[in-house]
Amino acid sequence: MSAPVLQVQGLQVAYAGNRALDLAALQVDRGEVVGVVGANGAGKSTLVNALAGWSRGDPRVSGEVTLDGTRIDSWAPHERIRAGLALVPEGRLVFGRMSVEENLSTAFVPPAGPGRRVYSREEIYDLFPHLKERRQHLGSQLSGGERQMLGIGRALMMGPQLLLLDEPSIGLAPMLVSQVLGTMRTLAGQGLSILLVEQNVRAAIEVVDRLVLLERGRVVLEGPAAQMGNDPRIAQAYLGAHV
Amino acid sequence: MNLTQQVINGLVLGHAYALVAIGWTLLLGVARLVNFGHGQMYMVGAFVTWWAVAKAGVPYALAVPMAMAVGAVFGLVMQRVMLKATFEQNLVSIMIMTLGFGYVMHGGAALVFGSTGQILETSLSLYEVNMGDLWFTGQDAAIVVATIGLFVGLKWVLDGTRIGRLVRMVAEDPKLAQLAGVNVRRVYYGVFAFEGAAVAFAAGMVAPRTPILTSMGFEEVIMTFVVVVFGGIGSVKGSYFAGLALGLFTALFGALVSPAYTTAAVFLVLIALLVLRPGGLSAGAAGAH
Amino acid sequence: MINTKLRYILLPLVGVAILAAPSVLGGTGTVYSAAVLIAIFAVMAYGLDVIVSDLGEVSLAHTVFFAAGCYTTALLSTRAGLDGWGTLAGTIVVALGLALLIGLVTLRLREFVFSLVTYAVGVVAVTLASNWQFLGGSDGLRGIPPLDLSFAGITLTAGNDQELWPYAFALLAITVYLIDRFRHSRLGAAAIMTHLNPRLATMGGTDPARVRLQVFLFSAPISAAAGWLYAYQRAYVSADVLETYFLILMLTAVVLMGRRQLLGPLAATALILTQEKFFSLGGYVDKIILGSVLVLILGFFPQGLMGLAKPLQGLFRGLRRPAPKPPTTSIGDIK
Repeated sequence: MSAPVLQVQGLQVAYAGNRALDLAALQVDRGEVVGVVGANGAGKSTLVNALAGWSRGDPRVSGEVTLDGTRIDSWAPHERIRAGLALVPEGRLVFGRMSVEENLSTAFVPPAGPGRRVYSREEIYDLFPHLKERRQHLGSQLSGGERQMLGIGRALMMGPQLLLLDEPSIGLAPMLVSQVLGTMRTLAGQGLSILLVEQNVRAAIEVVDRLVLLERGRVVLEGPAAQMGNDPRIAQAYLGAHV
Repeated sequence: MNLTQQVINGLVLGHAYALVAIGWTLLLGVARLVNFGHGQMYMVGAFVTWWAVAKAGVPYALAVPMAMAVGAVFGLVMQRVMLKATFEQNLVSIMIMTLGFGYVMHGGAALVFGSTGQILETSLSLYEVNMGDLWFTGQDAAIVVATIGLFVGLKWVLDGTRIGRLVRMVAEDPKLAQLAGVNVRRVYYGVFAFEGAAVAFAAGMVAPRTPILTSMGFEEVIMTFVVVVFGGIGSVKGSYFAGLALGLFTALFGALVSPAYTTAAVFLVLIALLVLRPGGLSAGAAGAH
Repeated sequence: MINTKLRYILLPLVGVAILAAPSVLGGTGTVYSAAVLIAIFAVMAYGLDVIVSDLGEVSLAHTVFFAAGCYTTALLSTRAGLDGWGTLAGTIVVALGLALLIGLVTLRLREFVFSLVTYAVGVVAVTLASNWQFLGGSDGLRGIPPLDLSFAGITLTAGNDQELWPYAFALLAITVYLIDRFRHSRLGAAAIMTHLNPRLATMGGTDPARVRLQVFLFSAPISAAAGWLYAYQRAYVSADVLETYFLILMLTAVVLMGRRQLLGPLAATALILTQEKFFSLGGYVDKIILGSVLVLILGFFPQGLMGLAKPLQGLFRGLRRPAPKPPTTSIGDIK
């Protein structure tokens, strides 16, 4: 059993005395797709920000975040990215004034290595033919679904060890959601480890190996996706997400 | 008054304005930093060049790069002190700090260089080109050539090189740039160093035209500001043409109406522009292109 | 709560102490001169304080209001023979007029554009003051008579700094009172809301642009009144009242102690001028010191000096206002 790609221990985030996240443990094994779900305010975006290393609004962050055996919790965001933690954020996906081709480029040369497959631009175009058709279009001219693909594509070109997806389904039509999440399964099949933070529980369950339910910053339920589908608390989170 | 001569003056002046403005507009477009110390950095650049040439006997061609190096260092120091405020986008703090820096530079320059006016003499400014009734100096020609060269070079770097792409990414969306692995802090440092070097370069080229004083610099900020309002924040091409337009206006106004009140006239033009198209300086216009 | 009651005892005590301070500290001409200048420049800074600390904008036009006060006083006293009351009234009118003009032009401009425009106003003002003969040109205006606030048979004049001190103190006390009232008024609350969250403020029924204009109009006469008194103190006025020195002084006074501290600008001005008058290292070095203080405070101690001494804050800060309630109707006037 190889070491987990991502190991989070005792991650606590507090804003002005209010505890927003209290994660005892979270783990993503190599080649695994883990879903983190929960209603609004459950702490999903706090988790994403903490993993990415962003500190908006002066939070107090403590705990350990280990990426492929290396502690990254004191690293700056761009250093974590270069180490292989690729974040596809919610909403902020494209450089509107640059072409698709330019958006699909890296700021550094990703080191290839075990567990890090660096996707070339051509491979991204194979994965997302829509983008290939629009390679000279500006980012601002893309639809929501295309932007999501572009964000994922750029992340893949950085040779990630772990792909962290923040609510990819937001603003997307259901068919596109299935398409994007289906691509996740394909990528996982190619060896990529994925942490999917999602509000749309039903869609997430179809795709992930393991599901983690967050409530008020804490893990309240965790288990294989197949078993979690019938749990009443999941149904409540599902309903909560659809208010 | 010879109209064509004034047009030539205006064109030279216009290139000078564009050259002075380029560092500032890039800084604003990429890092969203308003540098109120810009005028004093210009003044320091002029005085370092003058001191090198007049007091240290350094040839002019070496003095200008020296001033640029000093300017770049000033830019780096300023950014280091303002780093937290830059990341927090704390515009009030940034503006006040750059004012403070400008004041320190003023005091420091007066202490080191004295408060009397000086003339930066170069062989180029003594070299005159006469074409019938019209004339301009070698310095004037050098300003035009240098400006065009810098602008073309900058545009090429921004559009065609990897570094230029990184700069454009940071200019458009610093957070997304971080996610793409860009070391945004280093880009901010780089752009501030560029501002320092560019304004010093501009000073080295343009200052020979008039006497320099350690109390100068304020009008340069206004001219720069107008160039940016007119040309668009962060726009290399826009700054060039806006500079030319401003130069022509200043030359003609100075010749036809009054030289002392040109700044006031430019200010009124600025107000008119802002009132008529305030959207021209909206947040969305930031960027580098 | 304790704070409120303490204030009503403490502030008057502090006031009496300040009034007596110059004579306690030696009563020499130098001491009185320093005290008068501290009072004048503190008042000048209070005008800016409202804009920077409450509204959250950087106005570089308050030097122009200050200068307008100086020049209006000089012109009205030397050419129209008006007394202290007349020149004060004129100062306020001119300040309001200028503020209205600048305010309307900058009504919908964003923060840094607003600041750049006010900066430009300052530069243009220097050009005008240096070149326009009406304003005395490069020589300035001389021969301003001593301050005369006599009325109803009571003689109230001031021929030197010692005699001027009570009036300077009165101006300072009135200013501090006005600032305090402002911060307790609906306009003050609206200003903070506009500063912290413009969109939320709009949804609470306030028009950010209008609030901005009103605060601007409130702040301008304060800085101008400082200029009014300064003209009498110096007895002459020239373009040097527009020097950057005053701007940097104002800004440092506003940020040195920490934002929105009632006596902050006064304490800071006292510190700065004490250094300048009694521990000077030469004009240029003093400039470097002042500018560096401004930069270092904002760069490394953004909470100001008081931020370093939190326990002391309770005594000197003006009433800490609980989260402002959204105004229910339109913005009221200050009471």
